[in-house]
Order: sequence, then structure tokens, then C-alpha cells
Amino acid sequence: MTDERRRFRLPWLVGLGYGLIYLYAIGDISLAAPPLWDWRVAPLSLERVVSARGPFLFEAMAIAEAGYAVLLISPLNLLITGLLSGLLAANIHGVLYLRANPDMCRPNRAGLVAGALPALLAGGACCAPSLILLLGIPGLGAFAGLFGWLVPLSLGLLACNRLWQRRRGAPGLVG
Amino acid sequence: MQHFAFWLAVFLWLGPAAQATATSPPTQPPPLVTDSLSHYWDQSLSGGPGKDGIPSIDNPRFVSAEQADARLDPGDRIIGVYHNGQAKAYPQSIVVWHEIVNDRVGGKPLSITYCPLTGTALGFERGDTEFGVSGRLVNSNLIMYDRAAESHWPQILGTAVQGPQQGDGLRQVRVFWTTWERWRTRHPETKVLSKDTGYMRNYRDDPYGSYNPKGGYYAEGSPRIFPVLHASERYPAKRVVFGFRTAAEAVAVDRGALAENGRLRYRGANADFLILHDPGLDTAWVYRGERGRLPAAGALADLEFTATGPQSQALANLESVHGFEAMWFAWYAFYPETAVLAGDDG
Repeated sequence: MTDERRRFRLPWLVGLGYGLIYLYAIGDISLAAPPLWDWRVAPLSLERVVSARGPFLFEAMAIAEAGYAVLLISPLNLLITGLLSGLLAANIHGVLYLRANPDMCRPNRAGLVAGALPALLAGGACCAPSLILLLGIPGLGAFAGLFGWLVPLSLGLLACNRLWQRRRGAPGLVG
Repeated sequence: MQHFAFWLAVFLWLGPAAQATATSPPTQPPPLVTDSLSHYWDQSLSGGPGKDGIPSIDNPRFVSAEQADARLDPGDRIIGVYHNGQAKAYPQSIVVWHEIVNDRVGGKPLSITYCPLTGTALGFERGDTEFGVSGRLVNSNLIMYDRAAESHWPQILGTAVQGPQQGDGLRQVRVFWTTWERWRTRHPETKVLSKDTGYMRNYRDDPYGSYNPKGGYYAEGSPRIFPVLHASERYPAKRVVFGFRTAAEAVAVDRGALAENGRLRYRGANADFLILHDPGLDTAWVYRGERGRLPAAGALADLEFTATGPQSQALANLESVHGFEAMWFAWYAFYPETAVLAGDDG
């Protein structure tokens, strides 16, 4: 595989993987036994679509039980997941390109990790409630109300970093 | 015309007041409240989801016990209610996603409430209004709000700590924290809450852990995760005790000791209490009697447990007191001066 093809595929694979993990962490993808095959759709209404379960977390419009996997389908959660995944993929693409083309931008450690930090924040946003339960750190729950705000913070940082990469010559992710 | 104007004025004056009275939940003097009401509210914090982010079930549907058998394991936890001759079971696996079911049982409007973080299931009369999940917690415990006047009610206190009804206590209805097998045996005709709740959730997955077998957040040795007003290490944080309280005192009953002894007695501040173990549902029943007037052990030889509860001639002159199972840390956080009943004191 050439460097050019790897630079193109890797960001998409990471973005896709991140999207799946994000949906798993917010509970829109989950596992259950025994395996069942079933699906239900809620009556379509705008009120339901925009109904929030928490900060930047929305009600599902449908549920599909596909064997061991249970999928909740929420248009706005999918939109947020797509934005986060796409921006993360674009950031990684930019980092790989700028590192391979030092004449475009002198690479430095801060610039290279700048794309990863917002992604970690977004990961923290979706995984935080699970981590609180998993780690069981007494008192950590006091900050539970703040975790949801990591999503817009991550989106903002990813977008800003992508703009910074583009101004230094990183090409678009598509085309 | 003058008459019309007069009656219009009366209607406009009385209308809102009458409506507020009709829709507020019925109340009574509250049970013991240890800290000041405003302190509970001041110390409350966000649990993550916002107001109604955990949606109550307001139009519950039910299936038969036979239909429920297909998806409930005998050891699965349910919250059971028997009221005015009607039995209903609310699977923990469903209620954990909603925390409140606004229902009618035996013709009475009730709210069946469950807080997964404190392991407490309580029933309340709701009148014409409904309760919702405020999104706030105190001592890890669900704070409900009523949709009529928006007062805020911590579930364990059953008392409004903020809002127009601050200081009022809700009328509690006995509910049972037991297993599907035990409940079905006691109430074969029970209806069971359907997973057709109107919301899309994976009801085969508990976000906190598991009760069958016990694991995750519910495991006895696991730590609590939200701050509490009072902490004790007498028992593991998640050890389940049976608690009851009156206006004057709170008592935590060691369930192991109760099961071993069958019945316990407690000498309270102004009365004596008899606590009976119900082996069928593996829960407790509490009775209050005047000082020195509890029945002798031999007088309960005819004791049997039916759909309506313990039956014995010796219980006729005693007053039933509501109680509920709770994680030890949560009971202590609300009632730091609680008595702990771990054996028969007499």
C-alpha cells in the first residue's frame, strides 16, 4: 500500500471505529443475550427527534435487535457521531499530510497532537458516565453534569484544529 | 349581565386555586427529616441527564404473567404492588431506564418510583398529577418533581424540600422489592409492565450493572459514586437493609438477622415495633404497638402471609408502618441517627 493510499484510508478507518465506539459508549449500540431479532419504530414526530436525554444526547426513534447487537437509531445522535467522526478523520488526515510534507509546515509535537486531544475529549464525553460506574471513584459523580459539555468542546477544538491545518496547506479529506 | 360578571369574577378568582388543589399530590405530615429541607436542596447536584432526560412512563401497558414468563428469569428483580385487590409487577430491567411509572393500581393513581443508585423502590399516591425525574440527586437519591406545582421531592424522604409544597410529606404506598418467581407465586394473577413503554431502550441491558447475578454498581462491596451528607462504614456501602421511619425515629433492620430470627422487636422512643420476616417475598412487615402491648411470640402461631400481607389475630390492634429496602449508605446518608436492628432486643 502506498503512503498516499494509507493517508487516505487510515483516517476513515479511525473515524469509523471512533464512531462505533462513541455509539456504544452512549448506549446506542449495545449487546444483549440471548440473541433476538426484532425491531420497533416510534411514531414520527419532531418533538421526539429533538427530545434530549441529556446534554447532546437525544431520544431514539427506532430500535433494532439484530442477534446479540441492539441498535438504537436517533437522527441527532447519528448527526453528532458523524460530525465527530468526520472531523476526527479530517484531523488525522491533516496530521499525516503535514508530517509527510514538512515543506508545507514545519512539524512540531504540539501541532501533531493537536488533532488527538479533541478526540480524546470527545471520547471522554461519551465514556465518562461509563467510566464513573466502572471505576467507582467516590465523589466523581459530582462532575457528571459537566461531562456532556465535552461534546461541543470537542467539536469546537476539532473544527479549529482542522482550520489551522487547512491554512497550513493540508488538502481536503475528500477529493 | 351583572350576574354573569359576578360569576365570571368568581370563576376567575377560584378557578386557578381549585385547579392547583385538584392537581397537587395528596400529602400528609412528613416522616423524620434529619437535615434542614433547604440543605437537602442546596446539596443536590446534577446526575447527568437533565429534567425528564430520564423519562417517566406515563401510559404504562401491561402483559399477563404467562406472557412475562417468556422474558423474565425467575430470579429477575421486580417491583411489586398490590393495591385495592390488584397486583402489578414492574420489572427492574424496564424501570431502571425510567425510574418513575405514573400508573393506576386498583383504581388509585399511584407513582411507582425506583432509584437505581440507592436501590430503593417506593410507591406514592399522586392524585391528579404525575411525577417526573428532575435530573438532580441528593445522597445519590432520585429527586422527583410533581408536574402540578413543580415541588421537588427526594424519593427516600418522600417530603418536598423545595417548591410550593416544601415540608409536606407524600402518602406512601407499600411496594415490594423482590424476585419475579416470588411475586408470581404470591400473586399468580399479576399483570406485568410491558416493554412497550413508548420509548426506545435496550431493556435487556442495565446501564449500572446486574442484579441476577449481582454485579457492577449493585455489588455489595462496590463504592458509591456521588457525595453524601453523612457516611458510615458499619456495613458495606451497597448492603441492602430494610428501613422504616416514623416522625420521631428511623430504624435499619439487618435482613440477615431478620431472616434468621423470623421476627424482631424494637423498643422505640414512644412505641414498640414488631418486625416480621415474610419468607415468601423475602421482605419485612413492620407493626407499631403501644408500649408493652406487642403480642407474645406464642400469639403469632396462626401467622400466615396472603396476598394482602400477614394475617394473624394478634396483629389486629397494631398499626402497620411502611418500610422499604435500601442500600446501607443511602439509608445512613438520610438518617445518620438511625437505630440498627441486628438481633432480637426483647
